[in-house]
Amino acid sequence: MNSIADSFYSNKAEESIDNEFISKKLSLTPSLAMPPISKPTAFLRAHTDDNTNPDCKIKIAHGTTTLAFRFKEGIVVAVDSRATAGNWVASQTVKKVIEINPFLLGTLAGGAADCQYWETWLGTQCRLHELRNKERISVAAASKILANLVYNYKGMGLSMGTMVCGYTKKEGPTIYYVDSDGTRLKGDIFCVGSGQTFAYGVLDSNWHWDLTLEEALELGKRSILAATHRDAYSGGSINLYHVTEQGWKYYGNHDVGTLFWETKAKEGSFNNIVS
Amino acid sequence: MSNTIASEYGHTDTSVPIEHRFNPYSDNGGTILGIAGEDFAVLAGDTRHTSGYSINSRFQPKIMDLGDDLVMSANGFSADGDALIRSFQQQLTWYHFNNQNKKLRPSSAARLIQHLLYGHRFFPYYVHTIIAGLDEEGKGAIYSFDPVGSYEREQCRAGGAAASLIMPFLDNQVNFKNQYDPATGQARLKTYLKLDEVLNLVRDAFTSATERHIEVGDCLQIKIITKEGVREEFYPLKRD
Amino acid sequence: MDIILGIKLNDSVLIATSKAVTRGISVLKASDDKTRNLGDHSAMAFTGESGDTVQFAEYVQANLKLFSVRQNYELSPKAMASFVRKELATSIRSRKPFQVNVLIGGCDINKETPETSLYWIDYLGTNVELPYAAHGYAAFYALSLLDRHYKPDLNEEEGIKLLQLCNKELSTRMPIDFKGLRVKVINSQGVKEYDDLTAL
Repeated sequence: MNSIADSFYSNKAEESIDNEFISKKLSLTPSLAMPPISKPTAFLRAHTDDNTNPDCKIKIAHGTTTLAFRFKEGIVVAVDSRATAGNWVASQTVKKVIEINPFLLGTLAGGAADCQYWETWLGTQCRLHELRNKERISVAAASKILANLVYNYKGMGLSMGTMVCGYTKKEGPTIYYVDSDGTRLKGDIFCVGSGQTFAYGVLDSNWHWDLTLEEALELGKRSILAATHRDAYSGGSINLYHVTEQGWKYYGNHDVGTLFWETKAKEGSFNNIVS
Repeated sequence: MSNTIASEYGHTDTSVPIEHRFNPYSDNGGTILGIAGEDFAVLAGDTRHTSGYSINSRFQPKIMDLGDDLVMSANGFSADGDALIRSFQQQLTWYHFNNQNKKLRPSSAARLIQHLLYGHRFFPYYVHTIIAGLDEEGKGAIYSFDPVGSYEREQCRAGGAAASLIMPFLDNQVNFKNQYDPATGQARLKTYLKLDEVLNLVRDAFTSATERHIEVGDCLQIKIITKEGVREEFYPLKRD
Repeated sequence: MDIILGIKLNDSVLIATSKAVTRGISVLKASDDKTRNLGDHSAMAFTGESGDTVQFAEYVQANLKLFSVRQNYELSPKAMASFVRKELATSIRSRKPFQVNVLIGGCDINKETPETSLYWIDYLGTNVELPYAAHGYAAFYALSLLDRHYKPDLNEEEGIKLLQLCNKELSTRMPIDFKGLRVKVINSQGVKEYDDLTAL
């Protein structure tokens, strides 16, 4: 075991201080190729950003609603599953919750590849922490590894809004919001993505600390449903998770197509729809 | 809302001119399609190679056999696609050298491709990538990737020029989306399609795409992965 | 639209910061702390580009801590302000500058009689010692009030009164809800924290 940890450990103190996050030894990251021009970021923007350049060639998947909230019995995480590239629905079956390890979940909003890649990378960093310290990483430390990483790339065009959710003995259920401009916030309730406002609307008005697990799962699901209904960039189906001291548990995939009509009938809500 | 302090108080240039001179990308058209069955997978693509309105070649196959019962195609800008596949093959060779020719699983191949694509995060390969193979249980596996490496395992996926024409057809015919029993109103149950049914769907998808997309046509290449290995079939498409 | 205010009093300094974190049209957090303690008798409030702010504040905090551990001596607030100014002045001349504005309040306990001070430093590396100071849009409302009501030799209670006056004006005139003010009181005893101005 120690030999594994050793291969990632640098005994030159200076080496690990400068550039510790991009240094090959620690990060397992391939060096990222840059276009051979003076302003690589402008190049990337010209070819990938569909706001400044609608007919650019490379469309990167965007658009999402994700949420996570704390309550008496842990954390509920709920997300939609749609990926869009411009007006094209690229996928209705995206996994927007990334299982970093059995105790940590990360959510995916913004650039799909950025979130997927760096959150799996975060998983390896968390494992290395365990091997080195014989102890599971705290949510605070895990989220800070990710926040520092994206801060290193600030201004270069990474796009991610993510919630790192976990439960440790000393912290209890904990959620950190981390985004690509380097913000890192601890909090009880976060909604992230193009449908965040719609999700907040339902979540804030029904949330209280003493929610039962069943109520909490229902509320998470209902909040995402609200967002998929009003935000065209959100949809597909809803994935639900619950995080406790025993780690996370998956609470199924719920198709919006059928869930909407069930909910409307059950609640007598969505009265703007008549049919 | 992303005003910086500099832009709030001082006069600074907020709009940066876009560099137009350096454009290393072009689009060579074509379409690819992968479908996974219970004990097989297919990856198909047309063989037309275009730039703008010109047809460069009527027979430039782009579904590659990687060995290890894996096939791969990277559709879009063909130079980037070729470069990606070659670097994958090189990595695979090293993997074989280092691991006594151990067979690479589709799930591992997918993770490798993610790293290859994300390695160009700031200078992306302009390609939509699909690989097909059989998983550890012998079930058909399709993995699809966006240009910078986000990926997902799916039952079916169309990529490239006519993806938007073919994908809705696949949703309906492979995953039975929006199909209901008229009597009960129940959604049609998901079942695996048989190989000949899948091949019929693939041919229909491409003949239809050929009718409605100028960058699709000439010839259809299909690679079929079963436990017997990889087999290849060709069918003519309209050449107009 | 973050609010950061500082007022120097006769034997203490008050630093007040808004608690909201806003991204786009959503308030993401209503209990944020936009300050870091730079030592036992000084604190820094910060505002600016998201990401840069906390990174810069913690960088400064860590370096001053490192200095105090190595030398077994804590820098005076004036020296800390000079250090922060120089960091920002170096940064603005770099490829990717920190876009951060700060206020530093401190109490120099090594003087014969402890001496309080307040420093206003912007992202360009401008450093001024002032009796009262603010950054951002809040300055437009708060400074005129402070010009009118501030007097040298205010005690802590009067200082809080003055802050409450500022808070009232900001709450009525600022276009967004900044979720109240968090207050730090720095004097020769150290730094006291209050979760909300209204609790004082």
